[in-house]
Amino acid sequence: MTRIIQLVLSPLIALVVGVLLLGLSRKIIARIHRRYGPPIYQPVIDVIRMMSQRSISHGSLFDLGVVFALAGSLVTVMFIPLGGTQACQPFAHGVLCPLSSSGGLLVVMYLMLLGPLGLALGAGDSANPNASIGVSRKLLLALAYEVPFLLVILAVMSHYETISLTEIVARQQQAGWGALSVPLSAVAAFLILPAMLGVRPFDLVSAPQEIASGPMAEYGGRSLALIKLYGATHLFLVIALFVDLFLGGGVNLATFLLKMLIVFMAVEMINAVLPRVKIEDAIKFCWKWPAGLALLQMAITVLSKSG
Amino acid sequence: MDRNQITKWLKSPGKMAHKYSLHAVYFCTGCGIIEIPPVITARWDAERFGVIPVATPRQGNLFMITGYVSVKTLKAIIRTYEQMPDPKYTVAFGSCPINGGMYWDSYNTIKHLDKYIPVDGWIAGCMPRPEAVFVGVTHLWTLIDKEMANGYIRYKKKYAAYRSNQEMALGELDWPPLYPIEDETEEESK
Repeated sequence: MTRIIQLVLSPLIALVVGVLLLGLSRKIIARIHRRYGPPIYQPVIDVIRMMSQRSISHGSLFDLGVVFALAGSLVTVMFIPLGGTQACQPFAHGVLCPLSSSGGLLVVMYLMLLGPLGLALGAGDSANPNASIGVSRKLLLALAYEVPFLLVILAVMSHYETISLTEIVARQQQAGWGALSVPLSAVAAFLILPAMLGVRPFDLVSAPQEIASGPMAEYGGRSLALIKLYGATHLFLVIALFVDLFLGGGVNLATFLLKMLIVFMAVEMINAVLPRVKIEDAIKFCWKWPAGLALLQMAITVLSKSG
Repeated sequence: MDRNQITKWLKSPGKMAHKYSLHAVYFCTGCGIIEIPPVITARWDAERFGVIPVATPRQGNLFMITGYVSVKTLKAIIRTYEQMPDPKYTVAFGSCPINGGMYWDSYNTIKHLDKYIPVDGWIAGCMPRPEAVFVGVTHLWTLIDKEMANGYIRYKKKYAAYRSNQEMALGELDWPPLYPIEDETEEESK
């Protein structure tokens, strides 16, 4: 019973919090620009508006790709612990993580690619040149951040000697945050966070000024609303994963969301002030600094474990 | 949010959302576009009204034509307008789309834009100040509230007349009609 409640609750939290974070992002950027900015519930209004508009279809894959992306990211959220400890007992294991398993982290790593792939499938079906440039940039960017991301995850897994995400969170709550035990990995993960979220300086995928918002170029109406919701869920997902891996999850949902808010604010500060980079510079950056730091941390971890 | 708007939101969420989420497609035809960057950036901040620019016509619901319309750009304007999903609102900015403005006797400029696509609101002036855009937006809110911003319905209903006007200005159109044309203008539009 509690598992069913969790299965409903966890994607719902992701959607609501993700959409509000999108609104907060616009507000923060506005305040940094010294403007008043839109209300924080503006993305909700946008989504309602898009839902009420007629959408144009370019084929079945064009419509289904978006659904695939949204469903993929909602499923991924279910594998991520959203706060709670083994001690407190409102849920089955005390942790809000409906599909917790012994191999959680590997599953999350695979499932996280479903979103971009779904969007790429759908946008590829529209046959718009801007969309195909956007898709190729998206996949190249995924290639750029996946390398340091895998190294980061490898270091975390070998430090805690487990591939279960709930186990990693529980170990951090006993023995200190991951940011302290694998510090260079945490730095590397924070450096690739904007690339994973697709915000500046790595917003080259959906660059509205140069490639007409890339993969979304042909989307309008209901499909665009689903893309907005996918973006919100993906935002929630990536930041939640960062909090789980390096900031020790949360004792309950409130502290978890508070930690997410802090990480999100830091990312938004970077987002508000930096310009956009080119795709080759993005790859160069991701494979140099975050990958180097992650590799160094992995070497240190492995050597200290074997020694 | 205003508290007495909650009943309106519950009654017709789509209409209210259209009011407060006007995603604008700015069509940079003439000099009017130079007033738009201050409107959407830090100086006048259109985002607090929910107005933000979007990159493609598929994503927008507010179509702003800023400046004079030459015969060549009219073609692009019609195609952009027809690509936008319903409901959509058109606002013409500056005096040139209203009656030609300073190009009133030009051989190459469209004088009355609303002969070719339906226009819901006008912002007069040469140039209008950025504040005039906000006056226009709030006026558009009133029109949407009273369901008077119905240009897209007019376009569908009187498509034959609009299409024949477009053909009069542009000659043969190289795209098929957006809506089916039943009456006698069918032969001409082929």
